[in-house]
Amino acid sequence: MKKLIVLAAFVLLSAFISSDVIGQCDAEGYSNACIPKLATGFNFLKSYKIDSESGAKDKIEFSYVFTKGTQYMINLCAGGQATDGLVVSLFDAKRNKLATSKVNGEFISAIAYPCNATGIYYIQYTFDGSATKCGGSALGFKR
Amino acid sequence: MKYVLAGVFAAILVACGSGKKADDQAFLNSLDSVTTSDTAMDDALIEGILQGIPSPIEISVLLKHSGRKYDQTMLNSPDNLPKYNNNFKMALNLGVYGTDLGYTNIYEQNQDGIKYLEPIEQLAEGLNIGQFFEIETIGRLAANSKNLDSLLLLTTKNFNDINMYLSSQSRANLSVLLLTGGWLEAMHITCQLSSKDPSNKVLQDTIGEQQIILEQIILLLKFYESDENMASLLKDLTNLQTAFEKIKITTVYKAPTQEVVNGVVMVKDNSTTTVEITAEDVNNIKDLTAEIRSKIIS
Repeated sequence: MKKLIVLAAFVLLSAFISSDVIGQCDAEGYSNACIPKLATGFNFLKSYKIDSESGAKDKIEFSYVFTKGTQYMINLCAGGQATDGLVVSLFDAKRNKLATSKVNGEFISAIAYPCNATGIYYIQYTFDGSATKCGGSALGFKR
Repeated sequence: MKYVLAGVFAAILVACGSGKKADDQAFLNSLDSVTTSDTAMDDALIEGILQGIPSPIEISVLLKHSGRKYDQTMLNSPDNLPKYNNNFKMALNLGVYGTDLGYTNIYEQNQDGIKYLEPIEQLAEGLNIGQFFEIETIGRLAANSKNLDSLLLLTTKNFNDINMYLSSQSRANLSVLLLTGGWLEAMHITCQLSSKDPSNKVLQDTIGEQQIILEQIILLLKFYESDENMASLLKDLTNLQTAFEKIKITTVYKAPTQEVVNGVVMVKDNSTTTVEITAEDVNNIKDLTAEIRSKIIS
């Protein structure tokens, strides 16, 4: 009986440790890594953590007020392959889709958007065949 | 019951913390003024709106690019610091000074920018968020105009970290004030410049478009309107919003196009916006903004 309890405790502990390792997502690290990767001339505005919380979320969204006459850049950072299936899409206040980083099946790591209409925009991150469903992103601007 | 639980949780946090006694007291003081219905949904909503408010740096860059000359007289004097002796005023004026620092940075006026470091440091210390300002590094970077990019990056990052921290500590009320102060100062600078150059359509449009941001700020302040100070600020800003109601913004949506150039998706935005704003509108907004700002900084 004592052996059984020890074995059960060991199994539970192993499961806890392994799920913790698999579920680890250093989204903050990725978002910080993305800041210096903004193209030259762009000033940093925001960094976003993209964490699916071990697959619990299938999309993560942030809003930001974009200003007419300003060009914005949103980039993506992830572990392993370039964007690891992370996709960023941009929507306007009326939910019209304006841009996506998945173009003809290819995952692109940055979007540049020259804004012509001041308003609230939605920056949406989704996972398309992503292994880790974890990453980071930075938003920059230039006039 | 929720408040009792929150109080117990706060007490545990304070008991577990290694901070100074003054820090603990300020933390509790800030909790006293949190009067929103403290549900997780409200917190997430507040954080979401806060994240979406643009940085005042964007307006400073716009002003410089539109050819406006640097004018230090429009800014809040660092000598006003002793007037700010409660959390409400400290948070608002930290935002004001933050915008002023950004403005001096953008115009590479380091000798003026350095004067704002001490008040920023002291206000941040007073609000127990001093650990987020790398004042020494900022001072070193500000001493040389070649460091502009690094300086802007660091100051923007510091303010972002503060907002994240305050939200995580259920002190988003201070974030709202910081942001409101920063926005009002940027509005004040823009309005002053527009009054000196009334034919400048870019400045007029920029002022008109601020109605979108004001709407967001008012939404945030409404979460805290049971607090006397917050309610008074909300009343003033609602009055300002009335002046904005005369401005008409028309957006015509046209589907954008995109192509990949050098590994970046380059989008061509085909939508347009028209801002209908008169010199009288600008004047009203300028006066009301100056009135509210005067209450804040004095």
